[in-house]
Amino acid sequence: MMSKHTLPAGARVALIAAVAAAPLLSDNQYLLSVAVITLLYAYLALSWNILGGIAGQLSLGHAAYFGLGAYTSTWLFVHLGLSPWLGMWAGAAVAVAASVVVGLSCLQLRGAYFALATIATAMVIKTLVENADSLLGGPRGMEVTLLRDAPLYFQHTRKEFYYAVALAFVCAAWFVNRQILRSRFGYYLAALRNDQEAALALGVPTTRYKLLAAMLSAGLTALGGTFYAQFVLYISPDKVLGPNLGVVIAVVCIIGGRGTLWGPVVGALLLLPGEELARTLSGGLVGVDMMLYGLLLMLVIRWEPRGLMAIFARWRERGRPAGAGAATVRAAEGSQ
Amino acid sequence: MSSIYLQALLSGIASGAVYGLIALGLSLQFGVMKIINFAHGSFLMMAMYVSYALATQAGLHPLVTAPLTAVALFVVGYACQRWLIDAIYRKEISREPIGVLIFTTGLWIFLDYGFLALVGPDSRSVDSPWANDVLVMGDLIFTYPQLAGLLVAAVITAALVAFLRYTRTGRAIRATGQDREAAGVLGIDSARVYQLSFAIGLGVLGVAGALLLPLYPANPFVGDIFGMRAFVIVVLGGIGSVAGAFWGGIIVGVLESVGSQLIPVTYAEALIFLLFLAVMYFRPSGLFGVENE
Repeated sequence: MMSKHTLPAGARVALIAAVAAAPLLSDNQYLLSVAVITLLYAYLALSWNILGGIAGQLSLGHAAYFGLGAYTSTWLFVHLGLSPWLGMWAGAAVAVAASVVVGLSCLQLRGAYFALATIATAMVIKTLVENADSLLGGPRGMEVTLLRDAPLYFQHTRKEFYYAVALAFVCAAWFVNRQILRSRFGYYLAALRNDQEAALALGVPTTRYKLLAAMLSAGLTALGGTFYAQFVLYISPDKVLGPNLGVVIAVVCIIGGRGTLWGPVVGALLLLPGEELARTLSGGLVGVDMMLYGLLLMLVIRWEPRGLMAIFARWRERGRPAGAGAATVRAAEGSQ
Repeated sequence: MSSIYLQALLSGIASGAVYGLIALGLSLQFGVMKIINFAHGSFLMMAMYVSYALATQAGLHPLVTAPLTAVALFVVGYACQRWLIDAIYRKEISREPIGVLIFTTGLWIFLDYGFLALVGPDSRSVDSPWANDVLVMGDLIFTYPQLAGLLVAAVITAALVAFLRYTRTGRAIRATGQDREAAGVLGIDSARVYQLSFAIGLGVLGVAGALLLPLYPANPFVGDIFGMRAFVIVVLGGIGSVAGAFWGGIIVGVLESVGSQLIPVTYAEALIFLLFLAVMYFRPSGLFGVENE
């Protein structure tokens, strides 16, 4: 639910500044690229959260939007020389258009059917891209034209550049999530997530709001696709449209806490470095990183189905004396 | 020219029957428990490796491995429902079990990549003279594994339909699927019914895995292809309908083999998913209606 800030404004600014300045501490490019990927997944999980968490529509096909964003901006850059800073908005537009088509046909389907339909849609889009040999390079994918240090073209040889951009992306997506959770739109989404019939009976136009959530979620995810293309400088159907990606985006958010403001960030902070650690500790045994995702997902659903944020919420409750009034007083004191 | 299409049609029916058998367990679980088991494809992959191990290590005939694989998967299914899924399922028994869906997604990833870490990415197929033998009828050629797949799939589907219709246990399973509470009032233990349905579903999948192995090599991700196809088939045939799964499987098999004569194979795959989306949108109860409700 809505998170109450207990940190004063000054401390919050200081925290963000500290995170932004973190790359100055070390020159280790490997650590920095783990940090960039972690931020990217925090961003993707925040984007997914709008549809999958707040609106409660379990999409496992967000890889489709990610891939559409990556392919659109890369194609415009490679063939027309358009800067990906502009191309990413075209990618977002394509993804939003796709989400409208998908949404109009699938959003009326219930839970499990919707999840299946999103996977099937992602598969269709992947197949189409794999067959577009002359236009999009088919299964071999596309290489982003190398310009080296060209920040105006969303490229730089130093990873600090990507770190800063990714951090800005995360802040923006977090802000969008927060605004939604505080708005009438957010309450409508929460209502239709909890009980669709009841929400409909109370006059909430459920399909329209679900569609709006889907469009927003798809557009933001597509921007992340452009970021990935510019960071890795190479895209292929397996990398940016694969079914794994769609599942991982959802898993990061579910483990952190669906529908919460910080859950997607917490999930990414735990899972992405964890994945990297598992890969290193196992001596590069292929598959261990994904096994970790599967195992954690099972454990979380079994013991803490609302995600890790639920544990933090409980800690907070425990720290307070009983009674709502006392809790409010404590919260007010804490925020001064 | 026309014999090419006839051959494609008949081969499609043969492999489609095996696809139907793969989907059968999924449809049973879906119909009785209303859960979607996303790990279904991974269990198929597991069945193929069990059959492969029996055929290569113990030197058994591919067909002889089928009943043994079925028993192994039956046990896995029973244990899985009893000790893993049941606790999550109970918590959300009155609403849509999305938690189980997410849990089985975790199981799916865990099993696929667990097998990748365990046995490596190589494709493995059984090397038996029987698997390469053919039956020639005029212009038409069939392999023995194709014929065995069609025959065994048809027999098992018929047996399961009869079991659900005429035996006491079968009727208890159907009753629980229709109305769990009413069935409970009549003294049916729903926990046991769920364990049994899940176990039967995986047992049938064990047979399917053993039949599929001579037709298609096993690798850790083989379940992804056939698992998705199984969902398509379940939706086509009508969720919970055992006979529907068989016919749905044949439709998908024919679509795939005849379709790939007309358009590139990779597009035929997309065609199957488009059909799936269309059916889900226009006829969510499946092409043949629902048998159970």
